[in-house]
Amino acid sequence: MAATTSWIRVGWRNIGRNPRRTALTSGGLAVGYFAVVFMTGWTGGINEELIENATSLVGGQIEIHDGEYLPDRSLYDTIGGRDGVDVDALLAAVDSDPGVAASAPRVFAGGLVSSGESTSAVVLLGVDVARETRVSRFLKRLKDGRTPVQGASEFVLGAETARQLAVETGDEVVLVAPGADGSLANGLYTLAGVFETGLTELDNGLAVMPITDLQEFIVLPENRIHEIAVAALKPAEADATATRLEAMLVEFATGIDAAPWTELHPAVVDYVGLSESVHWIILAIVFTIAVFGVANTMLLATFERRREFAVMLALGAPPLAIAGAVVTEALAIGVVSLAAGALFTYPLMIWWHIAPPDLSWLYGSTTLAGVLITPSLRIAYDVSTWFSATAVLLLTTVLAALYPALRAAMISPADTLSGL
Amino acid sequence: MAGRSTLYLREPAWRVSAKLALRSLRLNVRRTILTAAAMILGGGLLIFGFSLTDGGQEMWIREAARMGTGHIVVERPEFRTAPRIENRLPREVHDVVTRALAAPAVASRVMAASARLSVSGLASSTAGARPVRITAVVPEAEAGLSTLDTKVVSGRYLGPDDDARAVIGERLAASLRLEPGSKFVVQSEDATGEIASQLLRVAGIFRSGVSEVDQTTVQVPLRTADSWLGAGNGVTNVNVVLLHSSMVPETVDALEEALAANILEGDVAVLDWKMANPALASAIALDDFSGSIVRVLLFAIIAFGIMNTVLMSVLHRHREFGILQAIGMSPGQTGVIVLIEGMVLTFLSGFIGVGLGSFLTWYFFGDGLDFSGAMDEMTFSGILLEPIIVPEFRLGRYLQALGFILVVGTISSIYPAVRAANIDVTEVLKFDR
Repeated sequence: MAATTSWIRVGWRNIGRNPRRTALTSGGLAVGYFAVVFMTGWTGGINEELIENATSLVGGQIEIHDGEYLPDRSLYDTIGGRDGVDVDALLAAVDSDPGVAASAPRVFAGGLVSSGESTSAVVLLGVDVARETRVSRFLKRLKDGRTPVQGASEFVLGAETARQLAVETGDEVVLVAPGADGSLANGLYTLAGVFETGLTELDNGLAVMPITDLQEFIVLPENRIHEIAVAALKPAEADATATRLEAMLVEFATGIDAAPWTELHPAVVDYVGLSESVHWIILAIVFTIAVFGVANTMLLATFERRREFAVMLALGAPPLAIAGAVVTEALAIGVVSLAAGALFTYPLMIWWHIAPPDLSWLYGSTTLAGVLITPSLRIAYDVSTWFSATAVLLLTTVLAALYPALRAAMISPADTLSGL
Repeated sequence: MAGRSTLYLREPAWRVSAKLALRSLRLNVRRTILTAAAMILGGGLLIFGFSLTDGGQEMWIREAARMGTGHIVVERPEFRTAPRIENRLPREVHDVVTRALAAPAVASRVMAASARLSVSGLASSTAGARPVRITAVVPEAEAGLSTLDTKVVSGRYLGPDDDARAVIGERLAASLRLEPGSKFVVQSEDATGEIASQLLRVAGIFRSGVSEVDQTTVQVPLRTADSWLGAGNGVTNVNVVLLHSSMVPETVDALEEALAANILEGDVAVLDWKMANPALASAIALDDFSGSIVRVLLFAIIAFGIMNTVLMSVLHRHREFGILQAIGMSPGQTGVIVLIEGMVLTFLSGFIGVGLGSFLTWYFFGDGLDFSGAMDEMTFSGILLEPIIVPEFRLGRYLQALGFILVVGTISSIYPAVRAANIDVTEVLKFDR
């Protein structure tokens, strides 16, 4: 035991023999460590934002519909069919689930908004404003004005549509929509506010008003709604919560479908899976390159000390112990690199996690799988990658030291010492 | 030459330095190979990454161009912010554009051009009403430009003699419960500002894979839109798809020159795909940015390795440099040996890496790298990404890669070179170790 520790000490102490070499080798490994943690943190940040924007910008983490509603989104396919349901009781039941944070009822219709000089086709969305803001974000911070008040013939509009129609908060416009009874409804409404999400689909083509106002406008009874949007406490558990809700809601009406976001946005799930598999590729490439640096260093270090090893061997040190000392030395370099890497990696990760740098000077908002991505360098804490990067770094140093260690152990004492 | 004698050589000093540098590389085979291996791998990965990124982006831009506004779109400046019928292209401007596109210099780069009248409206059937984007086209011209005709999943694409027929997206068809042969009504603002209705019959249903497109697109023959909206043969945009996206700047210049007078009057604007589709430009900028970060980090790691090797070789050769300086080589010449050593090593191995990387990429993935197992239908910036990426090798990228490698090699050799130049001759020769 004592012998083993002494060889480890020999290995450890040797990294101080040539501090410059140790610093350069560790520098390469530390940058490699940073590269892996940063790249995975960044893709993780994009994934987080994707999931967040897919599930809380407008869509919920779980959406409850009549089984027939998607994909047609027919006006008549309300929850509970033509008879409707007791909406308040249904919402109370959904809220009572332990996995649910909030829920909000919605009614959809198609219509035209006319400002007098121009007309735009829109999707009319009826919401319960108080409930809606707990589920989705788009009404929370309006670009202008305020949320619509029930019974006051008010509505809010996406910024792009408002701009195209040249209307501002306070202006009166005409809404036209086919009603559920087959009539063509029209009415005079006041624009209470304008929202802006950055997603063209919403900013251009969505008009929002209180749910009862819309039901009245399109002649749909109050007990008929198209959708309940649900915010789950944890997005990762949305699947299980949706299954539970679906089972529970059978007592209200038949054919109710509760779909988690993973089902509503399969492309987002695909993308997240794909980018996580890329983590391993990044890890492999970075450390494959780093292996050469370590191998080179260790080979030089053992080569310049072959007389030292020869003396040790001549004095009776077992070859395995020599190899152990070389491997320990490499491992020690690995530990130094980790410390150096952690020293600048983690403060940066924490800083960028708390205050993501703005990248709008470089690129604007875009969409991935139909979901908004904003230009910011957002970092997600990915603890499992931190651990795997640490493990792979140490493994890299050991692997790179194996060949030099073997060479050191196989030195022939007589030849080396005679070559004086 | 205070304190130093000058070495009288029959050859120029730099050649002596170069010879010494090359000899040192040859004598330390193992070190050379290890350093070269890292650089070869780096160079190979660099060109592999470049060719796939370029190939992927080109495909992406082409797909966006063919599904949307083309590589270049000519329209009124107001149309971008107010895509309405009143912002039609003046007739004479349309004529100038048609002539400019037919000019030999431009025509050789153009794959297809199509004039469109694009307005928003409401489509309704007995099942409900949906906001839609109605695009009126000349079917033959449009089929040459757009890939929409190949994406029809039921029914057929518009034919030259069709009137009051429409091709619609799959999701819209589902929403309105329409199938080929069904009738539906579209309403939109006409040229006089009144709401006008038109009864259409579904000719075909397409599936682009982009939900927004499948949800909102209605394509009708231009002649139908003309009688319905009273547009008087007018169009809102002329869309052009080129053979390759690299031809965009020169073609935009040529069109702008032809339209100079009209542009000055504010009648027309020539937009490239970046201006017409900022989301795509952003997505590509994001792609480029993350690519550059990966490359910089990768080469930072390699730079450490090279610096380490070259520095170690300097420390080992203190006596050699000491003797060289003692017999009259200047510190600068000694430094140059090290610098040449580092640069030759990195450049040669970088060159081999780039060559090997190109060959392997071409050999294994020349027909395209298939990602279809990893993802179904992925849209980025509203464009459906093809799951097969065909690598594209560009001369500019090779110059960029080799330049980058040379810069990294040179920078990481500078410090060791300075150290070799500044050795204390008497000190290093003092002991015979």
